[in-house]
Amino acid sequence: MNEYQNRTFQAVNVSVPRLESMEKATGRAKYTDDLRLPNMAYAALVRSPYSRARVLSIDTSEAEKIPGYLGCLLPEEVPGEYFNCSGNPPSPLLMRDELVLTREPKVLGDRIACVAAETEEMARAAANAVRIEYEVLTPYLDIRSALSESAEPLQPHVSSNDNMIQRREVSQGDRAVGEAESDIIVEDHFSTPPMQHVTIELTSCLCDFSDGVHLTVYSTSQTVFQERRLVAEILGVKESNVHFSKPVVGGGFGARQQLHAQHVAALMSKKLGRPVNLSYNREEDLYSVVRHASEVDLRIGASQDGKLRLFDTIYRLNGGPYTTHTPTVVAAAARKLQYKVPNYFFEGLSVYTDHITGGAFRGYGNTQLTFGREILMDRLAQSLDMDPVEFRLLNQVQEGECFPCASIPVSSNNIASCARRCREIQAEIDAKYPLINNEDIRQAWGAAFSCHGSGPSSKEGLSSAVVMLNDDATVQLLVGSSDIGQGSETMESQITAECLGIPLSDVRITAADTKITPYDTGTFGSSQTFICGNAVTRACGDLKKKVLAQLRTIRPESRVEEQGQGYLLDGHPLSFREAAREVMFDAKGGVMIGSGTYKAEACPNPFSVCFVKAEYHKKFNAIRLLDIIQVVDVGTPINRMTVAGQLEGGIAQGVGYALYERLEINPRSRRTLSSDLLHYRIPQMGDMPRTHVDMVDSYDPYGPIGAKSVGELATVPVAPAIVNAVRRACGQEINGLPLCDQFVILPSSWKEARNET
Amino acid sequence: MIKQELVEIMILLNGAERRFYVEPNETLLHVLRERAGLTGAKKGCDMGECGACTVILNGRAVNSCCVFAVQADRGVVETIEGLGTPDQPHPLQQAFMDAGAVQCGFCTPGMIMAAKALLDRVPRPSQEEIRQALSGNLCRCTGYQKIEQAVTLAAEAIAGYSREERERL
Repeated sequence: MNEYQNRTFQAVNVSVPRLESMEKATGRAKYTDDLRLPNMAYAALVRSPYSRARVLSIDTSEAEKIPGYLGCLLPEEVPGEYFNCSGNPPSPLLMRDELVLTREPKVLGDRIACVAAETEEMARAAANAVRIEYEVLTPYLDIRSALSESAEPLQPHVSSNDNMIQRREVSQGDRAVGEAESDIIVEDHFSTPPMQHVTIELTSCLCDFSDGVHLTVYSTSQTVFQERRLVAEILGVKESNVHFSKPVVGGGFGARQQLHAQHVAALMSKKLGRPVNLSYNREEDLYSVVRHASEVDLRIGASQDGKLRLFDTIYRLNGGPYTTHTPTVVAAAARKLQYKVPNYFFEGLSVYTDHITGGAFRGYGNTQLTFGREILMDRLAQSLDMDPVEFRLLNQVQEGECFPCASIPVSSNNIASCARRCREIQAEIDAKYPLINNEDIRQAWGAAFSCHGSGPSSKEGLSSAVVMLNDDATVQLLVGSSDIGQGSETMESQITAECLGIPLSDVRITAADTKITPYDTGTFGSSQTFICGNAVTRACGDLKKKVLAQLRTIRPESRVEEQGQGYLLDGHPLSFREAAREVMFDAKGGVMIGSGTYKAEACPNPFSVCFVKAEYHKKFNAIRLLDIIQVVDVGTPINRMTVAGQLEGGIAQGVGYALYERLEINPRSRRTLSSDLLHYRIPQMGDMPRTHVDMVDSYDPYGPIGAKSVGELATVPVAPAIVNAVRRACGQEINGLPLCDQFVILPSSWKEARNET
Repeated sequence: MIKQELVEIMILLNGAERRFYVEPNETLLHVLRERAGLTGAKKGCDMGECGACTVILNGRAVNSCCVFAVQADRGVVETIEGLGTPDQPHPLQQAFMDAGAVQCGFCTPGMIMAAKALLDRVPRPSQEEIRQALSGNLCRCTGYQKIEQAVTLAAEAIAGYSREERERL
């Protein structure tokens, strides 16, 4: 298992520019909406302007007069079976309650009809000209109103009496014992807002189902194989006739871990007999899917010695009107407590509402629970008069121990070094810019810990890889997992280069094309390094074994052994490169193809420590972020540059989440207030504080070359760390986000207040 | 929707004279992507809020989704496609790659064009000037740190160039 431990690496644990960066930097990379097919038509969706309504009539006569109008799809013309659009593998948790087109919109932007025309502008004009008469119903926008006695069930076929999608309880120990053993119990209610992914690329698909038999889909996809399965089911065709090919994707963060409108575009393509492009505008993208808003009750108890005794939470997620991911998001949150607590009680509620549909978002349930948890841990440390970092370290689950209610022990954990390294960086910053505490300004540090998994916590991750050897010892690598901007293609290529002992430039990767590449569960759950990476190491191992067997066939008189990344031939080293030449063209040669499959056997936890330095301006109740430090244990970082990029990007998303991001629906008009990027602000360059990121030495025995995950981990601790810094600077308690509700937010590059020279 | 007369415009596009017949209300972005086949400028919002469509018009970085094509008539337009190739990249393109400033890449062409307009004007920009110049370009992947570094790196590289080399950029 530890073939790679304590070894000097050549292609991993180094900083490598992305293989595709020059294609992107020269504008050559083709994203979905850059593709044009001959005779392509454009489709636009007719969406509900109300959060809950009933369609009384649809009149398309005015739309038909728009020049370039080609056709329309109404709810009656499309398959009427319920489905779940989530890009997770099939699971009983994923209730089916969504329709391709609906006459009973349950959320703003629900799909009612689809119109096609010769150009995108004409399609939009025609969609706007469709006249729909509605009976407007009272929507249940928040969890409280959706769960009230008088609320009508939104999905009676799933939940006939109320709007509870599912209730999940996970517990160990005894609540009464936990209470009795605790000298201090802190408790509070925490709320987090719905956050939108805001991938800079808009959701888009291009579907060609012209012949009604073979469907080709190019789309912004994280989960091509799941999307293929869902579309095949909805359309009633064989998976082998559905081809999902992923172009370059401009960000995912979970938003593309589901079907969007590929089914409608495919049906429109069939109707017209032409390829169809269906692309969202920014407003449509903003209300398509969000990170679940949460309402969390939390109690944490500790004894006087600082040991945790009780963790008790009711965790409620606002799911919107369709199940999609909600129960799996709740399930993912249930077993991610990284502290030792003998009495642990988790009650997770998935709730139907008429707010924007909650889906997958980087952090997947972990973000919302960690938020309140790390704030309460800070308050508890103060009550115990303990250092907040030491308090957390004291309770941290160590290697070989299990998280509460988890069954697999932690396989690697170097969070203590993360904390140490954070402190070093903190000391350097404070030496340069000493903490200010005067009449006007008070600065303070805050900290938070977090963990995540590597791959889906349900261990449903499954991936495969094929390595084909060329006669010049270069290789073609095929993997099913999607690079959506996070850099997985480069990383899988690095793992291949490391395993085979060849230069990175000798690896050519093809990824995420259902016609060419082998199956992969999908790009979600921080899977790519761990799940797909393990499939790649196995494929490389298989290839090397096959080359070895071939060498032995070719040279029956010699003693041939494997050694490191190459071979020994009668005691003389033979590199993999030299061996490759021999095995193919020899009279007894053959074609060398290695393959490997990995079904998750583990889900190692990466760990993070995040420190934030913030300041509070007493006169005008304003806050400003100065520095954010994040140091992580991700096992072996395959590509240090990519890991650093994930950390910095995760910090930026955490800054937006903490400070001002919230997808808002106006309670009066029940329309979205967050209709564009001026009304839904994400951090700009000048908003960002100085960021400092690092990785500590670590090696996970289950990881490919010791690697764990990083993508989701990077954003989880940021918001609570910011809140902890702010609460220490201002002395006010904070129970919810975004902080712009409570404070004036000053941009980090705000010059006047800068104390440095 | 009223059928409109097409207007003939001429643009010096990446160094070549190009003629287009455009609708009076057609955006420059639309002409670049749909008529000139240059898809490097991206559509991220179509309302001037994300900067992914940034090109340089007469020396200034503009959101091409907020400029009518007719406004660019007889103008000079530079897009990412005119900047460099994978074999002969512009120092900004090289720096974006080397610094790890490219992740999903969707904002990258716009970022680079905004940075180019800045470096054309201010060869050695301060951190504040970089932040100011790129404030209209949103990125959701990188956290901006490496983008800022890339612009500084490119400015340093260009400073080391000879005058002839600089003129060729």
